[in-house]
Amino acid sequence: MQQSGGSLAQRSTWPWSRRWFAVLALLAVLAGCGGGGVGTSTPTPPPAPPPASAPAPAPGIEKPATRTEAARFLTQATFGPTTADIDRLMQIGYAAWIDEQLALPFGSHRALWEAADAAIRSGATGQIGATAGQAEVIGAFWKQAVTAPDQLRQRVAFAWSQIVVISGQDSAINDQPRAMTAWMDLLGEQGQGSYRTLLESVSRHPLMGRYLSHLRNQRADTRTGRVPDENFAREVMQLFSIGVVRLDESGRPLADATYGPADIAGLARVFTGWSWACPDWPDNNCFANGSAGGLSDPERWFKPMLGYPQYHSAEEKSFLGVTVAPQGLPDPPASLKAALDALAAHPNVGPFIGRQLIQRLVTSNPSPDYVGAVARVFANNGAGVRGDLKAVVKTILMHPEARQVSGHSGKLREPVLRLAAYLRAFGATSESGFWRVGNTDSPTTSLGQTPLRAPSVFNFYRPGYVPPGTRAAAAGLVVPEMQIVHETSTAGYVNAMRDFVGLGVGANAASGKRDLQPNLKAELALADKPAELVARITERLVPGGVPAGFTGIVEQAVASVAIPALNASGSNQKSIDDARRARVNIALLLTLVSPEFIVQK
Amino acid sequence: MTTPSLVAAALSAASPSPALGADASRRLFLRRAGAISLLAGTGAPLALQLAAAGSAVAAAADDYRALVCVFLFGGNDAFNMVLPTDAASWQAYIATRTQAPDPIALLAPGTPPVAGAAAGSPARLGGVLALHPVAALPGGRSVALHPSLGPLATMFDTDRRLAVVANIGPLILPTTKAQYAQASHPRPTRLFSHNDQQNTWQALAPEGASRGWGGRLGDMLAAANAQPIFTAISPAGNAVWLAGDAVRQYQVGTTGATRIGTDANGRLFGSADAGAALGRILGASRSGHLFESDLAAVSQRSIDAEVALRTALRPASDAAFGTAPASGSYNPANDPKLQYDNPLTGARAANGLAQQLQVVARLIDAGQSGAIGARRQVFFVSLGGFDTHDLQNRNQADLMARLAQALRYFDTTLGAIGARNKVTTFTASDFGRTFTSNGDGTDHGWGAHHFVMGGAVRGGQVAGTLPVLGPKNAANNNFDSSPDQLGNGALLPSTSVEQLGATLARWFGLSDSQLGTVFPNLGNFSQRDLGLMA
Repeated sequence: MQQSGGSLAQRSTWPWSRRWFAVLALLAVLAGCGGGGVGTSTPTPPPAPPPASAPAPAPGIEKPATRTEAARFLTQATFGPTTADIDRLMQIGYAAWIDEQLALPFGSHRALWEAADAAIRSGATGQIGATAGQAEVIGAFWKQAVTAPDQLRQRVAFAWSQIVVISGQDSAINDQPRAMTAWMDLLGEQGQGSYRTLLESVSRHPLMGRYLSHLRNQRADTRTGRVPDENFAREVMQLFSIGVVRLDESGRPLADATYGPADIAGLARVFTGWSWACPDWPDNNCFANGSAGGLSDPERWFKPMLGYPQYHSAEEKSFLGVTVAPQGLPDPPASLKAALDALAAHPNVGPFIGRQLIQRLVTSNPSPDYVGAVARVFANNGAGVRGDLKAVVKTILMHPEARQVSGHSGKLREPVLRLAAYLRAFGATSESGFWRVGNTDSPTTSLGQTPLRAPSVFNFYRPGYVPPGTRAAAAGLVVPEMQIVHETSTAGYVNAMRDFVGLGVGANAASGKRDLQPNLKAELALADKPAELVARITERLVPGGVPAGFTGIVEQAVASVAIPALNASGSNQKSIDDARRARVNIALLLTLVSPEFIVQK
Repeated sequence: MTTPSLVAAALSAASPSPALGADASRRLFLRRAGAISLLAGTGAPLALQLAAAGSAVAAAADDYRALVCVFLFGGNDAFNMVLPTDAASWQAYIATRTQAPDPIALLAPGTPPVAGAAAGSPARLGGVLALHPVAALPGGRSVALHPSLGPLATMFDTDRRLAVVANIGPLILPTTKAQYAQASHPRPTRLFSHNDQQNTWQALAPEGASRGWGGRLGDMLAAANAQPIFTAISPAGNAVWLAGDAVRQYQVGTTGATRIGTDANGRLFGSADAGAALGRILGASRSGHLFESDLAAVSQRSIDAEVALRTALRPASDAAFGTAPASGSYNPANDPKLQYDNPLTGARAANGLAQQLQVVARLIDAGQSGAIGARRQVFFVSLGGFDTHDLQNRNQADLMARLAQALRYFDTTLGAIGARNKVTTFTASDFGRTFTSNGDGTDHGWGAHHFVMGGAVRGGQVAGTLPVLGPKNAANNNFDSSPDQLGNGALLPSTSVEQLGATLARWFGLSDSQLGTVFPNLGNFSQRDLGLMA
């Protein structure tokens, strides 16, 4: 199933025949969903019939043939493979592992934040007069990323957080840390439910309402010339559902635009009259301030926004070929239902969202067949249900192209995933229990990326980013994560990882050491055997293995640190320990900054 | 009149600059010889060529030029940055933007600020700042600036180093409202979309473009630079404007280049061998995977550039660029030269845009002095937060104050290093915004006003054509009274980004034929030069 290398000429075309992919994709779909019914309200093009000469799926696709293959899969499906995950996957195979993961409850970020908040308020942490804030939002993310049993759900939630974006870089969002963790829970719970439900939940989430300014957005007033705010109407189409150009069912762009200014103006009317949940809804003060008569809902920053008819447009609303007739009594829920039904039923959603989920998990440049297979499952999960995101995730991870390795497959691990893979591979723990990794925004001194802190609703990078002047660009490839790779961030990442490896991660804990520390016992035990040490570390961090040239350089560097012999009095034990640790550090860092590690193949 | 200086440099190359190695000088000479024949081929007047030859001896050291793009991310509301104040325009402006309870209309020139008014509100800011152009504007029109732009008003009125370009945006062809209404009339794709219009301003194509016009200028002139890596530089993240065919962007930190991994002695975790191994691991790909080799190329550039810049840049605390601290190490956030008066708090605050321009100034200093052997450089800096769908009054008041302080700092600093006439700075943004208000903000538009600043700029003028601002229709938010305003009053641009680009590129040293290559739609416009450059 695997293909290595390939010439540049080959890289510009898809190395497998399209037919071969189509067959495997179809088989994967049928195997994954039990085959069966068509018959949603949205017409679904029938899948192409398999050609007569259909080859059988390669053996081994159901269970990883090797631990290396298992680790590759887990790099796509989790925040990084661990020995225990590899064992489990080897035992039960891909499909059962995915089902088992998707059946787990989503590990709540809000529960962790609230526990941290309670601890801080109780004085137990010594932060007098403080409450939990952004550090605890980030801490909840890292605790779940590194330790949650529902790894697949957490990883997919992180993917969604980069497709449906709110950001703590906006001060209005930053001010609502508890609601930010509720947002992650929403993405975790509904990002693997129904797309239509997810779309409604994000559209009505007050943080999204604040971030894209439809919270408290009002209907037009022809007397003053006030017009509805178009922000959310535009971005929900451009980014969260259908994109700017019409796509074929395999995600290939067609010539025409999906929407124009008139569609935006029509849809903007739908997103008027939405504001906080409030005990005295629909009082005008509730709409304006989230409270009336001194009463407010303490969960108003994450309970779904409510429609306030008096601020909702009663005019006709036309968009995407759908028309909501003028309403005698303005009816925000009815308008919203019509709009979200239209968006969720649009044929672009499957390929548009499917391709981005593939890019977040598996590969930057999925073939049309891969996108098409995912889009077909989005359109119909096999049981006549459209927008079943569990089936979508399963199809993405089970597709044969996800098993394939070539000279251009895979993706760059974004900086957050690099650190997460390190922390998981070496069983890192948090002394405080609050995973105080903190803000890692700075590209000069840190990772250049913090979860939930993209610079804008356009995420840290664009799915269509072509890094100028690169071999990838010459080959016609996109590499989204390269948008935050440059000479400064490269240096910043190396320096940050040097400190993380050398000292630990995050703020100093009570012991005076940094809060997160890996467990390196086994590695320290191998410090006097450079070849074994390097093999152990690379096996944990680079699932595809490393070339001999890499091993040679790292082993030599490790061996350059002399380990003194223990003297008779034993007085040089610390020098010995330090030297052993330096050897481990060198092997770790050189691996963590290597192109071999950073590119997830 | 730009090509002559390059020719002069070419002629002077017979005696190589001490900053260039022998090979570099030879390459330089060959490229410059090409530049001369190119000039001759395009029919430059003989007198011009002779004049160039005559100044050859002195020219080499002086022949330095830089272009600096200040990108205002999010789509700046230019309606509140440069304001037509003639009676008809002002009346339309006030009528459209004055809405209770949050009017986004600024106040008339001369209105005194009200100290007790809400922070960032028009009343608190006081009236817009009337400008005094060198020559009367056509049609007896007049313009003013946002009240937070005081330093720029001075640069326009007194120093005459600032010009306004009115109603500019991406265009394929000159376009009237009637033509815009016809789907068949060519127009830029994906108008009104942030990422696509950012790319279109920078690279004349939507997202996915990988070649910008700044980088293309670099392609054509990088041969004059001893170290090509220092041709196109950003302290503001990856910007497609800086990417050419051959030229690749170099990203510098706001405090200079960042050393990778090792200590001052090249050691990593105490080992010099490990330090050396780090360079080998980072700088090469062993597998042949495309992404790995692209990643390794960036790392190698990072390593090489840091070595080159380690000694080439004068310190940020040098009086030309900053303020040496009384004690302790230099921190740009605490440097008063890099702080602005925050109109929302009334306090001084660090200005990230000024920090970016500080490192640009240090690189220009190193470029023109020969320390990095550069003769033509393009720079990209940015300021974000302009997507003012809401809270526009507060947010834009703050952003304008940052912009004004940063540009004024940059102008002063360039004066201190003798580079004012050699550096031209211009603003750009995703798009302009709607004229109408959505309550307390504005939505995505198209055309906008921008600034061009520098010693070589014919300052105190409004280039292009000021739009006619009209009242909205009684029944809807169209603006049938204006030939320049579309739905919700967004501007249909009357000047193309390519016309501005070509004007700057000509000053930078490109020939007519090169201009046509970089700006493919330039020929569709009768005015190839906006007359901005002296």
